[in-house]
Amino acid sequence: MQPDFVLEALIFAPIISFPLIYLISRITLRITAKKGTPINPSRWLALVVMLALLIPLSFALNHFINEGSFFTTIGTIELQMDGISVLLTTIVILMSLLIILFSGDYMKGEVGEEKYYAMLVGMVGLVIGLSTASDLFNLWIWFEAMAITPYVLVAFYHDRAPVLEAGVKYLIQSAVGTMLVLIGIMIVFMQTGTLYMPSLNAINIQNNPALIVAGILFIIGFGVKSALFPMHTWLPDAHSQAPSGISALLSGVVIEAGLITMIRTLDMVSGAFAQAGTILIVISALNLLFGNLLALRQNQIKRMLAFSSIAHMGYIVLGVGITMTSGNINGAQGGFFHIFNHAIMKGLAFMSIGTLMYSLTATKKNAHDPLTLDDMNGLAKRFPFLGICLSIGLLSLAGIPPLAGFVSKWQIFIAGFETHDPFIIGIVIFAAINSVISLAYYAPIINRMYRLTPSPYNMKAKAITPFMKIVLSILTIATVVIGFYPTLLNWLTEPAANVILTAFWHS
Amino acid sequence: MKNAQSILILFVILFPWLGAIIIVAFRQNKEKGQHWLASAISLLTALAAWLLLFFNNTLIISIPLGGIFGNIEFVSDGLAILLVIIATSIGSLAILFSTSYMKGESQLSRYYSLILLFIGSMTGLVLSSNIFYLFVFWEMTAFCSYALISFYNDDPKAVRGGMKAFIITQLGGIGLLIGIMMIYADINTLSIPEILQSAATLPTLTLQIAGFGFLVAAAAKSAQVPLHTWLPDAMEAPTPISALIHAATMVNAGVYLLVRFYPTFKAVPGWNMTIIIIACLTSLLAAIMASVAFDLKRVLAYSTISQLGYMVYAIGVGGLFSSQFHLLSHAIFKTLLFLSAGAIIHSLGTRDMRLMGGLNKKMPFIRNVFIIGSLSLSGIPFLSGFWSKESVLEHGLEHGPLWAYTIMLITAGLTAYYTIRCVWMVFFGESRSHMQPHKISSMMKTTLTPLALGSLTTWLLAGPLSKFLQSSMPFHHFHTYSFWEPFLSVLTNPYTYLTLAVIVVAIFGFFRVKKMKGLIHEVRGIIGFAEKGLGFDELNKVFVTPTLWLAEGLRYTQTGILNWNIFGILLGLLFLISAVLLGGI
Repeated sequence: MQPDFVLEALIFAPIISFPLIYLISRITLRITAKKGTPINPSRWLALVVMLALLIPLSFALNHFINEGSFFTTIGTIELQMDGISVLLTTIVILMSLLIILFSGDYMKGEVGEEKYYAMLVGMVGLVIGLSTASDLFNLWIWFEAMAITPYVLVAFYHDRAPVLEAGVKYLIQSAVGTMLVLIGIMIVFMQTGTLYMPSLNAINIQNNPALIVAGILFIIGFGVKSALFPMHTWLPDAHSQAPSGISALLSGVVIEAGLITMIRTLDMVSGAFAQAGTILIVISALNLLFGNLLALRQNQIKRMLAFSSIAHMGYIVLGVGITMTSGNINGAQGGFFHIFNHAIMKGLAFMSIGTLMYSLTATKKNAHDPLTLDDMNGLAKRFPFLGICLSIGLLSLAGIPPLAGFVSKWQIFIAGFETHDPFIIGIVIFAAINSVISLAYYAPIINRMYRLTPSPYNMKAKAITPFMKIVLSILTIATVVIGFYPTLLNWLTEPAANVILTAFWHS
Repeated sequence: MKNAQSILILFVILFPWLGAIIIVAFRQNKEKGQHWLASAISLLTALAAWLLLFFNNTLIISIPLGGIFGNIEFVSDGLAILLVIIATSIGSLAILFSTSYMKGESQLSRYYSLILLFIGSMTGLVLSSNIFYLFVFWEMTAFCSYALISFYNDDPKAVRGGMKAFIITQLGGIGLLIGIMMIYADINTLSIPEILQSAATLPTLTLQIAGFGFLVAAAAKSAQVPLHTWLPDAMEAPTPISALIHAATMVNAGVYLLVRFYPTFKAVPGWNMTIIIIACLTSLLAAIMASVAFDLKRVLAYSTISQLGYMVYAIGVGGLFSSQFHLLSHAIFKTLLFLSAGAIIHSLGTRDMRLMGGLNKKMPFIRNVFIIGSLSLSGIPFLSGFWSKESVLEHGLEHGPLWAYTIMLITAGLTAYYTIRCVWMVFFGESRSHMQPHKISSMMKTTLTPLALGSLTTWLLAGPLSKFLQSSMPFHHFHTYSFWEPFLSVLTNPYTYLTLAVIVVAIFGFFRVKKMKGLIHEVRGIIGFAEKGLGFDELNKVFVTPTLWLAEGLRYTQTGILNWNIFGILLGLLFLISAVLLGGI
């Protein structure tokens, strides 16, 4: 397959499927409802599309490994697949596939099920497009388009007040963010006369205070989407009120997509805004502080995991910031490695919790009550498999070897020490201390699961479905394998890190 | 030959892990199979460990991953093999003991799989020749320790004890992390032989930070003051776990770390003295706390902390062989004491010594082995403890400051005091409880016997052990002795008799003290303070309370009101712009 065709297939196949899945499902529902039992084929359609996407993905990876970046042009718009795009594309396709498999039983029979799958598939295409944009305005359009899908998905259970509140907060805060980004783009255009990202690198833009303001606007604007402090306040509500598969997708892909878009725009103004790295490192420390300490006080599990996502964004941003300030590739490589690992670990954690919520719906008094710590009591007795999967997910998030979370944190920390900069080393030590503090909220969940006296309705919960077991097994095995064999993903993370390196340290 | 050795090395690490996975796959209701399987796996691992004795040291490079993760390398030198044999043999004995002790308990698959995971991690820790993997195994042993302390998850004390152990040892582990990364940032290698070689080329600052970082990690793991508070609370674990992990193996990991990296850091100014100070303080304070504790396991826990202090003291004065000799004899007699205590607690259903007494006639076998262990612990001739402790004290007198020797001498006296107190309260005097102890199972007797024999005879290995250690460790300096040399030098040293005199005084003192009720009443304030851990737990609160207070305070930033959230965004924007443009970052 020609590389440009592959790229177009990756982006437009899901985008075109987006309305098609919705229409076909609605029509099928109408027809079958009249005849008897309504059948909703949306989950199977979505599954087919995602499986089909694996074909162009493998072509793209193959081409990228052998020949490097490639691009395609549609009219005047150029879309380029480089290291960062490949990483994000791989993560979004694999995670969405697993989430669609998981959601099959979870979302069965819900009102608006076809909207769910249509939006999910649409999001995949839009995220891939976002990662390949090479023009600032085009980037902004993709970003706005991609942002629509999670609004709808977060507010899926729209007849419940807390869910709507979460959705509205997410929407309005994101809108503020993208408006700030637009102002930033306007400033860049005014100062340099071009929006084409590769050529921005060549223009000498040092000592330009307007571009520094643009850079700050990018950090704050995209920082809303990637939950950096102090723009993170929407995340605990949104990630805890969304359906569990969407929480996994949000924590694993969407906030990282926001960060990656930020990195792209900062790369462009890196000539004028060299302090970007230091600012990101300071923000990462605040993310770690707020994320971990606030998670300590949570009683609801999904909210706790949401705060933990804020903390993990701290690790990722720390790694990226280290490379921006010091030119050490291990920082960004560790950061991208952590993006991949976080998607897997957080996906495992959220989907385990989702499995539990699914099983408990029949027995809990109010099916929509959030899952609390007390509900975890004695879980392992009824669901031994789930107990192991969730334990591995939580231990990996806490950074216990030999699991995935540990090795990516190791890479980030060692990069910090290699800079020989006392300030950065101090922040790395702070991050390590935070990793230990996070044990204080992850470990008690495991302790509760292995109690002998179960919570009242745990023993009557319904069994886990095979699809859920398959998804959880895949994620658990991935967590352990990556932990044992950390260099497995070097081919994916190194090119991505190189993009940042060349932008900030022109070689 | 090389291949066989590589297989053995990988076997002692991976076979227990394989066993752990198999046991988890076993269903809960097949209890007998679990006991049997765990015992078989641990015994086979111990056999493989003993077989390693017949090979010379070799570097085994398995997978060159390179870069920041280093290569997977193991080397089975003398130090490693000593600890591997201790870990696997005592591990097997603890598991065999558990087959009787834990009969009828639930979630045994979790219990045995965690013990096996621990054994594999411990052997991996000492066999690693790559400091990244040493750290990996270090963290894994900490996890197993936490999981086994909080084995009885329904007991909040056990869960709290587990979390405390986890957090304190992990925070100490950050010291190790900092040290490793500083060294790597300078010489770009994670291979331990290379690190030992380049001690002279590392910049001073790196050596200082790494040296003290490693010391903090070792102090946390080996429960030295002020990071010792987790060990007494870890006694909530099932007793075979207390014996294995918190007496004989995991707590030795800190001592191991210090010995392994001694050549690199011995020249760092202040390092040796800091070790000596910490060790002396630890030994003395722990012995004091053991003298007033009423919980049988707590006395043994404080005793472990105190004896670990001896091992660390030996390192501080440069007596690497003495510290390893004492490690060996301590592992055996402390396991013996803990397992016997487990048998007593299991029979009587209480850990409080005030409710025991008069077991002299009722549990003769346990009385015998417990007394053997106690004699060894107190340093009574001619058991292992006597020879190893005298070796430490002798070396300390020759190479260390006099005040340190004096403190350790006093501690030896206190050791004898609390040991005889413990033996007296448990076995002699009036029976203070109505409980009738049930018969000890033959499996318990089978596991306790080799330990008792070990306490009586292991000292004979001193000479060969010293040669074994020195011959395989090129960077370290272990004193080597011929067969009779260690014993002759102890017996001909006049200070040995000083120590014995102190011990005798302590024992007489105990019998006197029992009669001096008045004096005890006077000092009850101090005793009460010592019972509560001499204020160190309050020190822990200094760290925990502000963290929780800060966490609670930060909750106000999540206002839940959209306008405040947006205000936060704009505030961030304003702050950044002013900081960068006006402040000039």
